[in-house]
Amino acid sequence: MNDRLRAVFVDALQLDDDVDVESLKYRDIEAWDSVGHMALIAAIEDEFDVQFETEQVIDMSSFKVAVDMLKGLGVSE
Amino acid sequence: MKLLHAGARLLDATTGEVIGGADLEARVQERAKTFADLPPGVLFARISPDVPGVLSYLAALVANRPVALLDPAQDREVLDGLIARFRPAAVLGIHDADPAPGYSGDWVREDAEGVVPHEDLAVLLPTSGSTGNPKFVRLSRAAIEANAEAIAEVLGIDENEIAPTTLPLHYSYGMSVLNSHLVRGATVLLEGSGVVGRGFWDAVTQYGATSLAGVPYHYEMLRRLRFDPSKYPTLRTLTQAGGKLRPELITEFHDKMSAVGGRMFVMYGQTEAAPRMATLPSERLPEKLGSVGPALPGGTFTIRAEDGTELTEPGVTGEVVYRGPNVMMGYAESEAELALGDVVGGELVTGDLGHLDEDGFLFITGRIKRIGKIFGNRVSLDDLEQIVKAHGAAVAVPAGDKVVVWLDQADSDTCKAAAKLLSETLHLHVTGFDVRPSDGFPLLPSGKIDYRSLEAQV
Repeated sequence: MNDRLRAVFVDALQLDDDVDVESLKYRDIEAWDSVGHMALIAAIEDEFDVQFETEQVIDMSSFKVAVDMLKGLGVSE
Repeated sequence: MKLLHAGARLLDATTGEVIGGADLEARVQERAKTFADLPPGVLFARISPDVPGVLSYLAALVANRPVALLDPAQDREVLDGLIARFRPAAVLGIHDADPAPGYSGDWVREDAEGVVPHEDLAVLLPTSGSTGNPKFVRLSRAAIEANAEAIAEVLGIDENEIAPTTLPLHYSYGMSVLNSHLVRGATVLLEGSGVVGRGFWDAVTQYGATSLAGVPYHYEMLRRLRFDPSKYPTLRTLTQAGGKLRPELITEFHDKMSAVGGRMFVMYGQTEAAPRMATLPSERLPEKLGSVGPALPGGTFTIRAEDGTELTEPGVTGEVVYRGPNVMMGYAESEAELALGDVVGGELVTGDLGHLDEDGFLFITGRIKRIGKIFGNRVSLDDLEQIVKAHGAAVAVPAGDKVVVWLDQADSDTCKAAAKLLSETLHLHVTGFDVRPSDGFPLLPSGKIDYRSLEAQV
């Protein structure tokens, strides 16, 4: 799952190859601003066929949190 | 100072600190004193939604120092270009960087000689995003104050309002939220994380925010977040400006707010009008859906036909012209132009196409100037085409909150690279640029590119 999620982050936020995705946090970088956040949420939902609740959208502040949320939604790989 | 009502308060969402009344006044005065010994010239303020940022702005107004409000995230290169062109007396809100050439360690200009700005000038705002060489809109103190009052009147702002900073303060809409609340003795809740941040919604609840200001993309986000005003019992006013919001979203938010006894306002403005020109009264929204409302108190709209005649008859489409006390003094592209007085005489030719109805309500239907809006930021479409030239011939057209750029004979990698280049050059999120491959542009019989037909394809 981490690899798939990493690919979604790189694609949705148009990250460079040298960005350490797994330690990234919301608003750490210019690309992950509020606009980027919504693009990211939509891309994750599409990739893993899930739908996040409002609370989850505003709490998804890092790669790690996203991993935990996906696990909570039953995504295993 | 008229803009700062005695009851006005600043509330810092991060620290919980509240500054108001005599304390706020004293801190503004104290800060204003520090500007007295500066050489002649304007101030540059890199302004964040925090107490020091707002104090700098208010102190500049008190000290009669015109102040340019700038994006704190602006590229150093662009900032240095602006400094070279306008030679500000000092740059505020910048500490962690080496000073520009000719500036001391605390960012004060070393050369005591400089142009004295015009006495009416109060605020300078950059016209568009962060492209190459932004010019400044020159706003007088009278224009700022008139617009703050008129906005407060049509929105019914009183001392009980608590407005969070959902928009940057260097953005004219963000500045006007600040001004229209301070002028009525209301509270401005200084918060920086934005509507998709946990911190924002916690602050709304904790401090009882009463309103929320957004451009179209904020409403797209709020919809995505399934915003439910019943969860926020104090939040009863929504305002929208900064571009056209889809009618179905206007209706959706109006209905949501009406259901809890709240209000939704659709508004129209431009930085050149400090910035508000029209507001649609909430109670008339359903019958006037698609309108931006009548002109603000003190202002008027006319429609200019192609032959130059100005009309106010209903149903006639032409270029929207606004007149009012809030119209800018003009633009400035250099230090020398900061000394100029009013060169536009209270008349703003907006570049927007529209018509009035029988009640004087304005409907915006398109644009004359080749301008697009990306997440509320105005961009020149010609500039976009120039920027991506290295990737091929390009045609840019507006598409709601984004722009679509067609790139001739491009593959998907080239389109991606072009979108990234635009994003980096303009400092706007990459998702605002929808770059698509094209195999030849449609042409008009005259041989010119048929923009209308391309606009119809987005």
